[in-house]
Amino acid sequence: MIDINSPEFEYFLNLSVVLTGFSRFHLQGTGVAHLYFETIRDILGEELFGELLNIFHGLELEKTEQSIFSDRLRSEILASEKFGPITRNIIKVWYMATWYALPLSWRDVFGTKEKDRTFIISPQAYPEGLLWTAIGVNPPGAKGPGYGTWSEPPLVSLNQG
Amino acid sequence: MSLNREVINVDCETVFNTLYDAVIVGTGVAGAIVAKELSQQGKRVLILEATVEKDFTLAGFQSYVETFYGAVEKNPNSPYPTNPNVQSPTNYQDYFVEQGPMTLSGSYTRVLGGTTLHWEAKTPRMLREDFKLYKTYGQGLDWPISYDDIEPYYRKAEYELGVCGDVDEQKKLGVEFAPGYVFPMKKLPPSYLDQKVSEKVEGTQVKLYDQDYTIRFSTFPQARNGEPNPDYDHGNGFVPHGVTTVHPVQYGERCQGNANCVPICPVQAKYDARRTLGKAFETGRVHVLYQAVAYKVEHNSENGHVTAIHYKHYKNQNSGEYTIGTARGTLYVLATNAIENARLLLGSELLNTSGMIGRHLMDHPFTLAWALMPEVTGTMRGPLVTSGIGTFRKGKFRRNQSAFAVDIHNDGWGWATGSPKGELEDAVDNKHKYGQELRQTLISRVSRQLLLAFMCELLPEYSNRVTIDPNYKDKLGNYRPVINFNLPDYSRRTLAYTRKVSRVIFERLGAEDFTHYDSRDPAYFVFENEGYVYKGGNHFSGTHIMGTTNKNSVVDTYLRCWDHQNLFLVGAGSMPTIGSSNTTLTIAALSFRVAEEMLRELNSISPNLQPATLPAR
Repeated sequence: MIDINSPEFEYFLNLSVVLTGFSRFHLQGTGVAHLYFETIRDILGEELFGELLNIFHGLELEKTEQSIFSDRLRSEILASEKFGPITRNIIKVWYMATWYALPLSWRDVFGTKEKDRTFIISPQAYPEGLLWTAIGVNPPGAKGPGYGTWSEPPLVSLNQG
Repeated sequence: MSLNREVINVDCETVFNTLYDAVIVGTGVAGAIVAKELSQQGKRVLILEATVEKDFTLAGFQSYVETFYGAVEKNPNSPYPTNPNVQSPTNYQDYFVEQGPMTLSGSYTRVLGGTTLHWEAKTPRMLREDFKLYKTYGQGLDWPISYDDIEPYYRKAEYELGVCGDVDEQKKLGVEFAPGYVFPMKKLPPSYLDQKVSEKVEGTQVKLYDQDYTIRFSTFPQARNGEPNPDYDHGNGFVPHGVTTVHPVQYGERCQGNANCVPICPVQAKYDARRTLGKAFETGRVHVLYQAVAYKVEHNSENGHVTAIHYKHYKNQNSGEYTIGTARGTLYVLATNAIENARLLLGSELLNTSGMIGRHLMDHPFTLAWALMPEVTGTMRGPLVTSGIGTFRKGKFRRNQSAFAVDIHNDGWGWATGSPKGELEDAVDNKHKYGQELRQTLISRVSRQLLLAFMCELLPEYSNRVTIDPNYKDKLGNYRPVINFNLPDYSRRTLAYTRKVSRVIFERLGAEDFTHYDSRDPAYFVFENEGYVYKGGNHFSGTHIMGTTNKNSVVDTYLRCWDHQNLFLVGAGSMPTIGSSNTTLTIAALSFRVAEEMLRELNSISPNLQPATLPAR
């Protein structure tokens, strides 16, 4: 079982806030943060996942200015051959409840993980995808907003804060 | 209501030992309406259903929704269980054997209630001129019945399906109604996107063969629970139907804007044939045999009468093992859809005096055009479509090219590009966005999407057909449909013309055109030096068309097989042309008409003094 007080889970939430652009409050409100953490750890293995989370935590500890932090996030994680594909996957997990099989080029170098295949994390996670919140709509097929709501102006706009 | 499943669900032995008034194959909208009409008038009905029984309860329905949530590819059949013994075509070549020269593609669903589970539920009537296309424009075929013959049945169908819409808007498009008629429910409100498009485009003039046409927008009639119209039925109003399960909470709700009509409406606001089946089952005079796949219609070679339907009954959907059974009745109805009906008829080696069984296969090919609006107009909000353009459904241009109807899609580019999933992948993997920038990119790229879908008429072509081939069989050893399909220039001209219309519309809107047709697509074609791609419309029809004689058609005006007088072929297969109307409403109307004819015949054989109830097993 996952220890929800483990530092790694905290690091995962903090990383997720940065990657998704959603608040920690919002991410926890989905009710699937633990499930995602567990599932990803299960696919990658504790060691690899832990390495990523600890690198991120290191960046956070050393954070002084936002722009330097962002540069380091790009160069040390997103552009990392090893962690780039994983972080992009984490974004897609949050946005679409889908884990994508890691690219072949990644597997060639870092090895094939037994549970690494494209799948929806769980049917209950699908309606919690952040994609729908990001564009201000209900997930198709769930949480219907109500009769006639579609006639009203959209809830999102360009350049909203 | 409560349904005694013991009475309804029967075994092969009960079926063998019962002579029914009617044996119906299939539980889609056509079979359901005939079953309901006959059983409510005291007739004993058997329905053979190819799939497993699990779907009639709320729990069964919720399992569909959950399967959909868990599916990576959310295609039209993604909510419905895969049944290797009874395949549902989803993608090109997965069940159909396509022999070209072009692809039919498209999908249908073989579950209880048929493809009404995943249909979109648009229900426009056909126009008066659609029934006499040859006489009026020298194209296609004429129906042996007129609009006036079918009009009363359109009203019945609109009641049964629970149609919302605006009669005045439809009248402006040339649809005719009985005086004072209104639809059971008020029109669905147009989406914000509809309003923004029509603000700039309404009234645009275009020229087609020297005639001026003015682009006008209107809502689509749809079989979706909305706001009941108090003026319906001369002021008696309308009570929307829920799906007929045990508790009121399980009834279909009013549309909530789930943006998911296809492949599944999670609140059952959309009509599906299980509602009608429920009314049929309630009579206590309907038996259903599940997991029974009809494979041979047997007939008496002396008088042509059908004497039995033979079926394969499988115990387990994951095993191809089956036992053989027989069902007998006074009348027989094939209601499996145009392609499956043709496959079954041809595989049964029935008489085919006209040589037309399987021929005149039709569909509505669509072209798509997509653009980004200059401002956020909202995407994935509301039912998939609320408004469109009906301007090109009729007119003199039909001498030269086919009619078409236009949808504004509320769900964005999904049908064309796989958005929004593809947009997210692109933003993350190629645009390298994360955090707030990712959110902005998604709003900019998804929430401004506009997709126009142009649904074009395809005429009955003798060479477009369903055939069978012993080399292509499914797991139960039944024939798979072998398809020969092509698009004549009459339709290609319109598919190409729609691109002109979309360019005019996008220009008016100041929308950035992203339309792109991939030359590697199997549905790519070149017309007058420009390339296009069409999409299948899933409106399969015309494989056993109705006509005036046994030489020019397979069935008569009551969908009675000319060669087999106690066999009725219902569904869109009997339609000689399909105009620019989605086919289901017309299928439903024709089914009511068939049921009346069957009742006349059954009552002439043995008048119904006391409605009989089927003995329980």
